[in-house]
Amino acid sequence: MLKFCLKRLAFLPLVMFGVTFLLFFCLQFLSPEMRASLYIKDPRQLSQLEAVIEKYGLRKPMPVQYAIWLKQVVRGDLGYSETAKMPVAEAIRAFFPATFELTLLTFFPILIVGVFFGVLSAVYKDRLVDHITRFVAITGYSLPSFVLGLVLLMVFYGRLHWFPPGRYTLETDMLVHLDSFRHYTGLLTLDCLLNREGGAFVDVVKHMILPACTLLYISVALLLRITRSSMLEELSKDYVRTARAKGLPERVVIRKHALANALIPVVTLSSLLFIGLLGGVVITETVFDFPGIGRWGVQAAQQLDVPGVLGSTMLAAFLFVMANLISDMLYAVVDPRIRVGG
Amino acid sequence: MLRPILVVALALGALSSTALAALPVKNPDAYTYLTISDADSLDPAYSYDTASHMVILNVYEPLFQFDRGSTEKLIPLIAEKVPSRENGLISADGRTYTIPVRKGVKFHDGTPMTVEDVKWSLLRFLLLDRAAGPSSLLLEPLLGYASTRGEDGKILPNVWQDANKAVSTQGDKLIVRLPRPYAPILTILASWSPVLSKSWAVKNGDWDGTEATWQKYNNPSKETSPFFERANGTGPFKLERWDRKTKEFILTRNDQYWRAPAKIKNVVIKGVNEFGTRKLMLQAGDADAIYADRPLLTQLQGIPGVAIIDDLPTLEMNPVVFFTYRINAIGNSFLGSGQLDGNGIPADFFSDKDVRKAFAYSFDYKGFINDVMRGKGTQATGAIPKSLPGHNPNGRKYALDKKKAEEHFRKAWGGKLWEQGFKFTMTFNSGNLPRQTVCQILKRNIEGLNPKFKIDVRAVEWPTFLDAYKSSKLPIFVMGWNADYPDPHNFAFPLLHSKGDYPTTQKFKNPEFDRLVEEGNAQTNLAKRKTIYAKLQDLAFEEAPQLYIVDAVRYRTQRDWVKGWFHNPIFPDSPYGSYFYTISKE
Repeated sequence: MLKFCLKRLAFLPLVMFGVTFLLFFCLQFLSPEMRASLYIKDPRQLSQLEAVIEKYGLRKPMPVQYAIWLKQVVRGDLGYSETAKMPVAEAIRAFFPATFELTLLTFFPILIVGVFFGVLSAVYKDRLVDHITRFVAITGYSLPSFVLGLVLLMVFYGRLHWFPPGRYTLETDMLVHLDSFRHYTGLLTLDCLLNREGGAFVDVVKHMILPACTLLYISVALLLRITRSSMLEELSKDYVRTARAKGLPERVVIRKHALANALIPVVTLSSLLFIGLLGGVVITETVFDFPGIGRWGVQAAQQLDVPGVLGSTMLAAFLFVMANLISDMLYAVVDPRIRVGG
Repeated sequence: MLRPILVVALALGALSSTALAALPVKNPDAYTYLTISDADSLDPAYSYDTASHMVILNVYEPLFQFDRGSTEKLIPLIAEKVPSRENGLISADGRTYTIPVRKGVKFHDGTPMTVEDVKWSLLRFLLLDRAAGPSSLLLEPLLGYASTRGEDGKILPNVWQDANKAVSTQGDKLIVRLPRPYAPILTILASWSPVLSKSWAVKNGDWDGTEATWQKYNNPSKETSPFFERANGTGPFKLERWDRKTKEFILTRNDQYWRAPAKIKNVVIKGVNEFGTRKLMLQAGDADAIYADRPLLTQLQGIPGVAIIDDLPTLEMNPVVFFTYRINAIGNSFLGSGQLDGNGIPADFFSDKDVRKAFAYSFDYKGFINDVMRGKGTQATGAIPKSLPGHNPNGRKYALDKKKAEEHFRKAWGGKLWEQGFKFTMTFNSGNLPRQTVCQILKRNIEGLNPKFKIDVRAVEWPTFLDAYKSSKLPIFVMGWNADYPDPHNFAFPLLHSKGDYPTTQKFKNPEFDRLVEEGNAQTNLAKRKTIYAKLQDLAFEEAPQLYIVDAVRYRTQRDWVKGWFHNPIFPDSPYGSYFYTISKE
């Protein structure tokens, strides 16, 4: 297992090199003037366009520009993101924990709800519970996240004043920036607890409820449908019939036999879902004014912030490799017949 | 991506508009403004964007300030007096300004401000001169040239000497010497002379004020400046924090301010891109004022406890239609065939005055104001907005007149144009609705005159637009201009002088325009200036190098518990942004 993990991790630098080189190569199809638009936002600055191109070396050949960037990376400098207004490494440290917290808050409920109702729906196929579950899943799957997000915001913030948008209130903002507040983990909820700031913890969680609910509803539908179809397939197989014929209780047949096998595609989907959430959920972050990694990544791409785009891409590649590794390892846990090897 | 969000937000807006009764004052100690702008740097010598300058306006102080809403009358701030010929602080030749510096002013760190800080700050503003930065605004009047670097990027030989000749001290007085009279110099200083603490800066690694080191700080990267995210000014508010993660500024009241302290204790300026979220926060009382464009006004009307203040004058000329006199034809698909053969246009298509006039008579100015500006604003009569001296409200202006348009089209290109027809592509930067509408109005009206006239309208992303603009590939482009300082020269030069930003790209050069622009700038007598600018305006009508469409007005949305706000169109992000010193919540 260790050998397998090390071998997969050894590919990581290669993946990152490939992704960044490809991206750099594609960006060279844009003229220096286009890439300089990152620094020229106003007609008043247009007369200085050539000076900007010169300053940032945008006319240098692509391999030279890539070599300069790579040299910086080797030195531990990922460059400066104009959209984040901070170095790329700092931007990742700033934006990723918020997305990570939101992912943690969302992912496990998605798993539990998705698998539970997927199984329930399969077991009670064509019964009322199945119809209701499928209806909820279809609406969740087809509902754009910005519609759901804005409706939730309208009701639970606009009318009821329960869950405000943003990351925290001004009071919490002041508190978490005090010198006495220690950032142990970078995860705000956990840090609030570790600092024994219960009020701030509640405030931070309150700000995460609506984006989490939006993501939960949108994402759970897919998992639910995959679990249901996978479970239906397993339930129709011979070994399930045999188990039932042997007189095993239905609870045991479903839990011990069918579910274990049905979970394999669920694990794959879950890992992709996890990467998707970690990579940031742009619309949800925009609607709820949540300062996550997705919003930054998209802004960087829209504004041709090359270091920002490269940084967020490297992070995405890293997450993808790691999530795949974890899901491969989970296969072995879910199904003992599968063995990972070097 | 954001358009569908907006549509849904607008649709859902009706749901909640009646939801709230008037609230009691929420967060009475904090004024919260929600914007869409993203600040660039808090270094006053580096930043050239409205979001940064909104903070700078409240944290730092310049020599002078405009008297509340006035764009002409100045009051002293860091200076003790505003120089004038009457008080003898402007020399007879109009080139030397003596500025007594106020005593008893302290920086936020408690250190006293001195005339040396003022001198250092001005020199730093001149010498830092980052590419695409604001230094040219003072370099031009104080040194006589717009950049410290030549076209090869190397520093010019006499910059240090020239800068020190222009800015010096005499006891407690700052002396500013100009190479030639420059009428708007005081208004430029009122916006672009924020005073920084030299000792604090040096302690934090910034320029020490010597000749030996200044070049090291020329054209810097923004993050190297100690002023990038920190501030130590003398203004009514201290910068508590710029949280770039949450796009939020927190300012706290400067209780040691040399005037009476501000009324509000904290100010929060926060970037929230999504309109629906901004609106909900205003409605809930978590925001006291928000940024919202004209088309969104109807969504904000009728919210209990929210006031709309409309018809606020602006210092902008936007949108403007620019004709390119010599279009760069190399690899240019916007020109079609590149010939006057009905499938394209030649590169000098718009050098024919009749073509330009025909376009001018083809635009529906009133319709644009009614539909896009919701009936607000008036038709522009020239490049200078109506809130500035030098604007002539009685000047000639174009109106939609299809008969006249046809006459000019028939005369253009010796009659060949009408016979052959033309085809070209008109572009606008995507997402800009007013500019898109301008293009569509021109297309519809011109194509209606002759079936052989074809105009394609295409939206392009800003980077693509910028690329084509800079290389003069756009036959027509629609852009705008916002004031750096409230003076007619700030519009006359960039729009009409051959060395101005737009004429350079338009390849438009007319010696009479240049002469009038330069004459207007050197003339310090206001009445005479007005006469010069009126002539310029008339000439611009006759030559039609550009089409001016609307003298726009804006509106502001704020909770009705906000008191003490006043409008000055020169304030950054005005009228949404504010000078917070006078604001309170009651």
